[in-house]
Amino acid sequence: MTLNPRGWPVILVLEVAVLAALLAMPAGLDHFWVIFVTRVMILALLAISFDLCWGYAGIMSFGQALFFGGAGYAVAVAARDLEITSVFIALPMAVAVGFVLSLFVGWFLLMTRFPPPIIFVALGTLTGSYIGQRLALSWYYLGGQNGIPSIPSLTVGDYPLYEGPVFYYMVLGLLLGVYLLCRWLVRSQFGLVLAGVRQQESRLTFLGYRVQTYKTMMFALAGSIAGLGGGLLAFHDGFIWPNSIGILVSTQAVIFVLFGGIGTLIGAVIGVGAIEYVGFELADRYPQIWPIILGALLLVVVMFRPTGLIGLLVPERERYGRFGKPPKGEDGDDGAA
Amino acid sequence: MPIDAAFDIISFTSFIVLVVLGLGVIASMMGIFNLGHGDFVLLGAYTVFVFDELGLPIWLGMTVAPFAVALVGLVLERTVIRRFYAAPIIAMLGTYAIGVVIRETVRGLIGGLYHAIPEPLPGMIDIGDISISKWRLTVILITVLVVLVSYLLLRRTTLGLKIRASLENPALARSAAISTGQIYALTFAFGCGLAGLAGALMVPAFSLSADLGVRFLIQAFLAIMLGGVGTFEGPIGGAALIGATTAAFPWVMNPILADIMVFVLAIVAIRLRPTGLFTKRRL
Repeated sequence: MTLNPRGWPVILVLEVAVLAALLAMPAGLDHFWVIFVTRVMILALLAISFDLCWGYAGIMSFGQALFFGGAGYAVAVAARDLEITSVFIALPMAVAVGFVLSLFVGWFLLMTRFPPPIIFVALGTLTGSYIGQRLALSWYYLGGQNGIPSIPSLTVGDYPLYEGPVFYYMVLGLLLGVYLLCRWLVRSQFGLVLAGVRQQESRLTFLGYRVQTYKTMMFALAGSIAGLGGGLLAFHDGFIWPNSIGILVSTQAVIFVLFGGIGTLIGAVIGVGAIEYVGFELADRYPQIWPIILGALLLVVVMFRPTGLIGLLVPERERYGRFGKPPKGEDGDDGAA
Repeated sequence: MPIDAAFDIISFTSFIVLVVLGLGVIASMMGIFNLGHGDFVLLGAYTVFVFDELGLPIWLGMTVAPFAVALVGLVLERTVIRRFYAAPIIAMLGTYAIGVVIRETVRGLIGGLYHAIPEPLPGMIDIGDISISKWRLTVILITVLVVLVSYLLLRRTTLGLKIRASLENPALARSAAISTGQIYALTFAFGCGLAGLAGALMVPAFSLSADLGVRFLIQAFLAIMLGGVGTFEGPIGGAALIGATTAAFPWVMNPILADIMVFVLAIVAIRLRPTGLFTKRRL
């Protein structure tokens, strides 16, 4: 089934390999590819955020772009009208916007008196993203159809950060930080509770966990990460348009993660890289066909390979993983049924 | 012109009712939330567009559309959807993927533009001092007819009984020699056919674009949840509410705000009444 007879920690090997490749890349690539990989890393933030929702907390979010694009629009407007371009203000602002938006949406959709049906959450997030798109499309202040072009570049002090190696390493550093934070979190006791929720939500409720609160916390974290990604992309590309907040990007997030491998963080990152690269190669020759292939790919993954690309390499046991030590004072959950 | 407005509202509502009917039949009869439903609507609209491009009469396209879409639905059910019955959540992802494929295919075929389709029945009809668009009146009549026929089909025929039996208790239904597989296939095709009909009838009013379906998908889902899943009347009632507010709000407030308000109000209402507004009687 898997290509791993000897029981290596495949995920760790993959993670180190990806990190090493990302660290080395700007040395061997020309300017164009540096920009391309920067974009991939920014989109990886979006993918991680969807992965946290669906892969780790069981929240079916079809509207992750709302936080991504919402934060993007916020920093774009701030940069355009208030000339806020400092890294130290703009990026925390993007995170904050993502956090506030997702906390609100999460509170609204998840903190109901009865556990909300999954279709309500899926539809609610989709609707949120759609509302964002409509608003961005038709509100003149946000540039309407054309979005906000020529956003000023990010600055550190007086030094402007143009796309290129410096921007690349900044994004890599942020991605690494986010990745390590998430990796620690999903393997902590907090992650264990969420794993339990995915298995059997009602039982966790009976054990006394405030399941919906846990989910909302995870959703808000995911939203903050998406917000960071959206803010970075707005500055990196220098423009933002309604699709960034709408159904298109929301769908992209779903495809990235399901293709790469839901429920593993590295799977999300690899999914973005694979999809974006193949997309780039194909979109040149077959611009009409590529989105169709993406949809078909999603269907095939959902039908035949729910564990995604990563499932080819990583054994089931390692995908589940371990969850750190139980907190002191409790002699550990014995797990007996 | 309050009568004009009322007529506008009713005719828009009938589109929503048609979309919701198909979606609701699939959702409550099979427990599958078809996130690709909007794109079946789009497929219906596209069929009419193809007929128009070929120089064939539009009404012919509108007649063919439901059957064409039902056929597509049948094929998809037999090949894809049937794998999802055991896992309704995965089904949402699967149908969403199907929707993406259909949407992007149509986008590729029509070239990402808007296409206007003329109404097959131009002109107005005069009743007293009011003149009413003939085509819109036809749409309303067709909707009423379709709803009535669907209702009778589900409530008064043997087939409807079998469908409801397969919903209530699939295992028992199978042991009573009802082929639930066939029933599901038929139900899904029927739902898709209704989506196709909705798309075909609405395309003169909304002009064809690849994103036509997404909007109706969201509105229809909100309508179903507003009304309550699992009944026949609930979703129809929800559809009437959504349709009426969507069409009525732009008369009283800024159109952009109106559009967004409907979504917000609907989702707030669903949150406050998660079981739906009209869920007293079960089907």
